[in-house]
Amino acid sequence: MATIRITIDDNEIIAEKGLTILEVARRSGILIPTLCYIAGTRADNPCEICVVQIVDYAQYGLTSTLSSEGLFRACITLARNGMEIHTNTDEVINHRQERLAILSQTHFGDCKAPCNLTCPGQINVQGYIAHVAKGEYEEALRLVMERNPVPFSVGRVCPRFCETRCRRILVDEPVSINHLKRFVADWCMAGNIDLGIPKEKPTGKRIAVIGGGPAGLSAAFFLTRKGHDVTIFEGEPQLGGALRYGFPEYKIPKEVLNYEINTILKMGINIRLSQRWGKDFTLQELRDMGFDATFIAIGAGIDQPMNVPCTDKEHVYTATRFLHMVNEGKSFELGQSAAVIGGNNIAMEVARSLLRLGVQRVTVIYPRARIEMPANQRNIREAEKEGVQFLLMASPVGICGLSETDSRLKLDLIRMKLGEPNKRGKREPMPIAGSTNSLNVDTVVSSLGQLAVDGGFSGGALEKALTISPKGTFVANPRSSQTSVDGVFAGGDAATGPKSVIQAVVSARRASLNIHSYVMGVPKKPAESRFNFTRGRSFDDVALKNFDDVEIQLREKMPERPPEVSVQDFDEVKLGFTEKMAHREADRCLSCGCTAFDRCDLRRLDIDCAVNINKTGMGKVPNYPVDEDHRAIRIDRNKCIYCTRCVRSCEYDALELKVASFDDKGRPVGLEIIFNENCVSCGKCVDNCSTGALNKKNRIVPIQSEVVTDVHTTCPYCGTGCQLDLKVKGKTILEVTADPPVIPNFGDLCVKGRFGHNFIHHPDRLKLPLIRRQKGGILEPAIWEQALDFMASRFAQILGEHGADALAGLSSARCTVEENYAFQKFFRSTLGTNNVDHCARY
Amino acid sequence: MTGLVTALGSAAMTNTIEGIVDNDVLLVIGSNTTETHPVIGVRMLRAVKRGAKLIVADPRKIGLTDNAALWLQQRSGTDGALINALCHVILRDGLEDAAYINERTENFEAFKESVQGCTPQWAAEITGIEAKDIETAATLYARADRAGIYYTMGITQHTSGTDNVCALANLALLTGNLGKAGAGINPLRGQNNVQGASDMGCNPVYYPGYQLVADEGNRKKFEEIWGTPLSLMPGLTATEMPAAILEGKLKGMWIMGENPILSDPNSSHVKKALEQLDTLVVQDIFLTETAELADVVFPAASFAEKDGTFTNTERRVQRVRRAVPPPGNAMDDLTIINRVTTRIIGKGQHSSMDAEATFAEITRCWPAMAGMNYDRLESRGLQWPCPDKEHPGTAVLHENMFPRGRALFTAITWKGPDEAPDEEYPLVLSTGRVLYQYHTGTMTRRSKVLEESAPGPYVEINPEDAEVLGLVDGEIVRARSRRGRITLPVRITDKVHRGMVFMPFHYKEAAANLLTNDALDPKCKIPEAKVCAIRIEKMTEAVA
Repeated sequence: MATIRITIDDNEIIAEKGLTILEVARRSGILIPTLCYIAGTRADNPCEICVVQIVDYAQYGLTSTLSSEGLFRACITLARNGMEIHTNTDEVINHRQERLAILSQTHFGDCKAPCNLTCPGQINVQGYIAHVAKGEYEEALRLVMERNPVPFSVGRVCPRFCETRCRRILVDEPVSINHLKRFVADWCMAGNIDLGIPKEKPTGKRIAVIGGGPAGLSAAFFLTRKGHDVTIFEGEPQLGGALRYGFPEYKIPKEVLNYEINTILKMGINIRLSQRWGKDFTLQELRDMGFDATFIAIGAGIDQPMNVPCTDKEHVYTATRFLHMVNEGKSFELGQSAAVIGGNNIAMEVARSLLRLGVQRVTVIYPRARIEMPANQRNIREAEKEGVQFLLMASPVGICGLSETDSRLKLDLIRMKLGEPNKRGKREPMPIAGSTNSLNVDTVVSSLGQLAVDGGFSGGALEKALTISPKGTFVANPRSSQTSVDGVFAGGDAATGPKSVIQAVVSARRASLNIHSYVMGVPKKPAESRFNFTRGRSFDDVALKNFDDVEIQLREKMPERPPEVSVQDFDEVKLGFTEKMAHREADRCLSCGCTAFDRCDLRRLDIDCAVNINKTGMGKVPNYPVDEDHRAIRIDRNKCIYCTRCVRSCEYDALELKVASFDDKGRPVGLEIIFNENCVSCGKCVDNCSTGALNKKNRIVPIQSEVVTDVHTTCPYCGTGCQLDLKVKGKTILEVTADPPVIPNFGDLCVKGRFGHNFIHHPDRLKLPLIRRQKGGILEPAIWEQALDFMASRFAQILGEHGADALAGLSSARCTVEENYAFQKFFRSTLGTNNVDHCARY
Repeated sequence: MTGLVTALGSAAMTNTIEGIVDNDVLLVIGSNTTETHPVIGVRMLRAVKRGAKLIVADPRKIGLTDNAALWLQQRSGTDGALINALCHVILRDGLEDAAYINERTENFEAFKESVQGCTPQWAAEITGIEAKDIETAATLYARADRAGIYYTMGITQHTSGTDNVCALANLALLTGNLGKAGAGINPLRGQNNVQGASDMGCNPVYYPGYQLVADEGNRKKFEEIWGTPLSLMPGLTATEMPAAILEGKLKGMWIMGENPILSDPNSSHVKKALEQLDTLVVQDIFLTETAELADVVFPAASFAEKDGTFTNTERRVQRVRRAVPPPGNAMDDLTIINRVTTRIIGKGQHSSMDAEATFAEITRCWPAMAGMNYDRLESRGLQWPCPDKEHPGTAVLHENMFPRGRALFTAITWKGPDEAPDEEYPLVLSTGRVLYQYHTGTMTRRSKVLEESAPGPYVEINPEDAEVLGLVDGEIVRARSRRGRITLPVRITDKVHRGMVFMPFHYKEAAANLLTNDALDPKCKIPEAKVCAIRIEKMTEAVA
């Protein structure tokens, strides 16, 4: 073999003569990026991403043909002896950026779906909806729990940021995403399904979590998954925090909450209940106990006081304390009427709880207009539906006890108006002078916001060293989650002030990553790139043409108890979707995000080469409808960058790309992708597609940053023994692909190899042993012990009465070598007969 | 298998899938490769693109015939006559490899004499192929530097299956096409682990590694490895078992991962027999037609739920890896076998070897796999023979010597199929597979893309036959043989010649194997699934 000597990026390489620079680089493990390369073929419309710089190129008889002087396509330029090649110079990178920008300008689609991007938890919403559509509820829940360990609660109380951005709004109504999350959680609870969430191997690090609410539980979950030994210190006698003591039972039933907490605890988490921080332990003591880090997640459970003169404290409550008592089942003397001061979400729960406790008239008092109430409008509507009244543009100025009238308290009010806009444009409410008024009630509950810490708190020196914000929260660096004390982190409402449950989860997740890198002494994994192609950032930007073929189908209506009935007790109001409803709702998802997310070369190279598509541009309108005619493959020409890898990788000449013309930058106009009758649906073109222009129809769950395992195995169909890669997530095989360098199929598969694996997760699979106890009877489910005993005793009887040759075995060409060996060994050595054969031995 | 063992001393594809592109001539006989082994079909088409000549011998127009230099459309069941005639022409024209024959084979003279009368004209009468095409094929094959033979069930599922394979071995030996790259004789295994199951002695006459049960030395060897005395009595083949049940000799059966009610010829006979058993244990991933008859059903794991190895058609032992857990309480087959074993041998004794430990025991039983272990199989498979830990595995068999020393020429006298068409049953039925389905469909029919691509049964019939019967395309007809009848639509096509019909056998709603003949090859006991006589009736005429 003749060899040459070249240098690539200052690495000396001895290479076979006659190879292209690209091939030489690949064989030496140097990656030159490309979008159109298929070994042994030549692209008519090359991507020019593989350009390299060749020093003194003229001496090799080369002339520059590209727009940038001195650059050559590595895929067609032969490596010559003595060549000095650079793959990463500024010129090279500029050229790549230019080319990528041009290709990206006409690439049209969403990388991630808007729901996914809007979710504070960055949950793969489209993914779990797709699982629901396929009936894979357990997998859907596991996918949710990768980023949200409290889906049972969040599925009931989430403000649903995602639904506000659902593209379906442009057609009819958003998908009921949160109800679907609740459905899968409840479905798994009904079946008591062990999710089998994996844990990494033990790190030997111990972490203390102070507070067992949503943030504490979440952090414990994420840290335990990472292999740390976590102990939760909870001040109350039971875990749950705001989920237990804040949300009333009609929102989150305790039974559901207990199940949820147990799901988390099953991971192996230590708990210490009724342990009050500052009283039963201090930060220093935690350190002394050997904890490597501490996470403060005590929530914001201290009510802001109501600053009005008050003469009767007896029937005046603050919201958090009130709800705590409600949730503990305390009995109250509340009287006939009550006023709730404040317009936040907690106020709504207080108001609805008061109705359930027998109060006839509940009035929420708030100094602004209804639309400006901080509570979620959905919560306000629900409260109103149950009979809560609203007194708006009013503020309390004093409370005094009454003795002579039917009511116990007189609430003095002043009417409010909105003042002039301040510097930030906000109009603060102002009292209208002389507009005093009063309302007679029996009970007053104020809900004016919550603090984590009210002034100082007891403890030791470390506690004193913690910085507290003016808003009564622990100051923690938003990026590192670190407080002012080394090794002490804070998150959830304790650090952010009162927010939604999902936001507490997100905060805890971030803190967990920080704590992990702190205790392990490793750098934090860089955040995922925010790079995203989008069909339109705001609704106004999205072309309605996208939805031409979408038929109107309104969302499923959540079954709920009528308000007049539901106010009678604390039972859950919303009853949850049935399976059929969940299916119908999941089918409404428009699947905006790209299911080629994990394999898109254009996206990967745009990120690698730092192309800013927000500046250089991306496709804005769909030029082509999505083509669903092929039985296995979905074609979206809007994403095609005309790399032609599909055509050139096809073994059957089954694909034709037709172009009406090319624009001034060489991009195709009037593109057609046609599968002709040669197509055998082997799917190789999809595996070779550089974007999501071709996609497998059965692959509807986008794979994002979550863990997906590639299991390398052998195809179970014919005798060729093709090597497969199963993309596995949880307990589900999402896709089957093949790796080109691997013998004997070298990346080729047939339709069965790529698409024939649905049987694995098919509901018809046998899951239990069956026994027919009497001839003519039916096959009944049994446990293994019974089935094995049944067989063994029957075989033993035949053995005894008729000898071993009255028994025979048929083995299978479908089973493994080992199983076949063990099977014949059983017949020959255990039973003593050679009556063993298989059906396909010829 | 019996055929290749007789002629060469071992039964497997002699060459590699990768080497197919290096063939100068490919003789594909009785194999619809692009549908049954699509990735191998791709390699064949690549060889053609490279300039190789493809000879297809098949009664039916198949995917490969479009790319063939020559298509020999023999009548079903006449392959033996065609192959003998090819040998005749080679000898007549002096195209044989005399040096090779001299050095590496025996029994040549007897064979030479046996094909003396097998002239192309003689074969033309029997096969329906023109004599000159037979001559062209023989010349093409014999003149090539590297010529490979590829076959599947179209050759073997006949009462003359063993003879057919021996005849193909004769052809390869005659031209020195065995023991070199890009050539050979290559049975393409229809299922993922036919090779492995065969290798492992799931066979009444062989211990693992084709070591004869009847041989005293082998018996001693396995008695030592397994630590127990072994039976001298020869066992029953799968195809003999139904009769043994009906005679009352066989009382209990354990069927692991097979669905003989749909896959075996004359399946109503098989069903009747299985129903007679005292105890039938079936182990499968679905409640198959066979499992429905069982007294005990064990839920098993699919390939994606267990560890182990499959041996592919080119003798390559490759890893199978657990990707997901089995559903519900299902268990992998090895664990089930271990548990049953423990119960039979009594409490206290355990048989609980995992896949890797079992594999290690296998490598002690059979020298051809002695050099393998899971560590070596981690990155890529190994082709047996692989006798020691340093051995890279064997791509091409018989390069220097045959396992039996010299290869054996076999004198073959062509015999027709067991059942010839007659007035009552005038059509010849052949069965086979389609690309989108697999075997009895338990897996493929549950995959949406596949089932939608090939959703139902049909019978292919030649336009002339259809006209005689007054059939229109798509019409529902009744197909009837001496053994059974089914109802299915017709597809009128010139893929089949006059007098022949074809059905895929995947569909339980019209199971082709209710019609097929269970007459056996006398040597290896393979049933004649590929040829039987049937008639097609219009539904209006059909009376029960």
